[in-house]
Amino acid sequence: MNGHVQDVDLNDMVAKYRPVVSFKVRKSLGSQTPDWEDVVNEIITQVIEKVRKGEFRGESSIGTFIYTVTSRRIVDFIRQKTRVLKGGPEPSPWPDPSEDAESRERAEIVAGAVQQLKPKFKEVLNLYYYQELSREEVAARLGISPRRVSERLNYAQKLLRKMVKK
Amino acid sequence: MRECLFEDQIDDYLLNRLEGDKKGRFEEHYFNCSSCFTKLKERDELVSAIKAKGAWLFAREPQPEPKGWAAALGRMTNWLTPRQWAAAAVSAAVILFAVFGALPLLRNQSPQFTLSDNEVVRGRSLSLISPLIDVKAVPAYFEWAKLDNASEYKISIYNGELLWTATTVDTRIAIPEDVKLKIVAGQRYAWQVRAFSANGTLVAVSSRVRFQVVPGN
Repeated sequence: MNGHVQDVDLNDMVAKYRPVVSFKVRKSLGSQTPDWEDVVNEIITQVIEKVRKGEFRGESSIGTFIYTVTSRRIVDFIRQKTRVLKGGPEPSPWPDPSEDAESRERAEIVAGAVQQLKPKFKEVLNLYYYQELSREEVAARLGISPRRVSERLNYAQKLLRKMVKK
Repeated sequence: MRECLFEDQIDDYLLNRLEGDKKGRFEEHYFNCSSCFTKLKERDELVSAIKAKGAWLFAREPQPEPKGWAAALGRMTNWLTPRQWAAAAVSAAVILFAVFGALPLLRNQSPQFTLSDNEVVRGRSLSLISPLIDVKAVPAYFEWAKLDNASEYKISIYNGELLWTATTVDTRIAIPEDVKLKIVAGQRYAWQVRAFSANGTLVAVSSRVRFQVVPGN
């Protein structure tokens, strides 16, 4: 993803980095925050303007440059939110309290695949990702080595990848 | 085979185990490494699905060593008197009630706004107590958990759009009769509470919890 100012094609840059910026914004603000897509659009617009004005001089990679712009905008957004007063306007309601339809559908598919795994793989996913035990704790619980835990996790993910892509 | 050293940090990042500079370096890295970003997105889908569906996915796990269980059960039958059995049954009922009563509160956690690892700006969520999911009648009161740093709460009820909103200093509120009439059986509603400090700053937001009045009750 490295690039310098003379190499930057704006269309390619937006196509490549919009998903990365979206991911970071959703992780930082939560996908329940109704404004997250607006924040992403603002960041992309800011990046394009900065590149056009020559503010990206190739001193770092374009990825690092966009990461810096993204982080700063997220901090600004949070600061603005903390200044929201009780007399402020009611935020517009959003259709679902959790996720958008596409994410829910995707979660259903992945969960369906997990459900089909053998108990020993489901068990390790349960303890490690759902109950958030460390590898060592999972190993102690199952009476296997931490290395074996990693192997089971990797193999479970490999199986899921195949099942979800079918 | 690992292609990148940062790959080992994907789980730690998604499970919020990376702190400070390490987290920043990892984030900067996935802005620069398309391979790690692809793997991060894929793993995030898995972790999100497990977090969202875990209660369903893992509740029906078969218990290991059924023979051991059966044997232990047989031994317990011999050990316990009828009175002890009754006490055990009551304890089990209390535990089940506590576990399943708490489950709806754990779903759909509020957005967590974090400036840095040490500075949580609006990280607290506010737990709603009732109504949750299905109720038999239009609720007379809406109730939520008290927050120490909150001096005022604002409740909002939605039916796709905002139905009613009000402010109170208590942790429960009665809804007016005209609003009660707008809540009809069989239709889904959601409600949310926001908490404000004494100077009017928003300090916590609950998740939007759905409820409906079950028809025919």
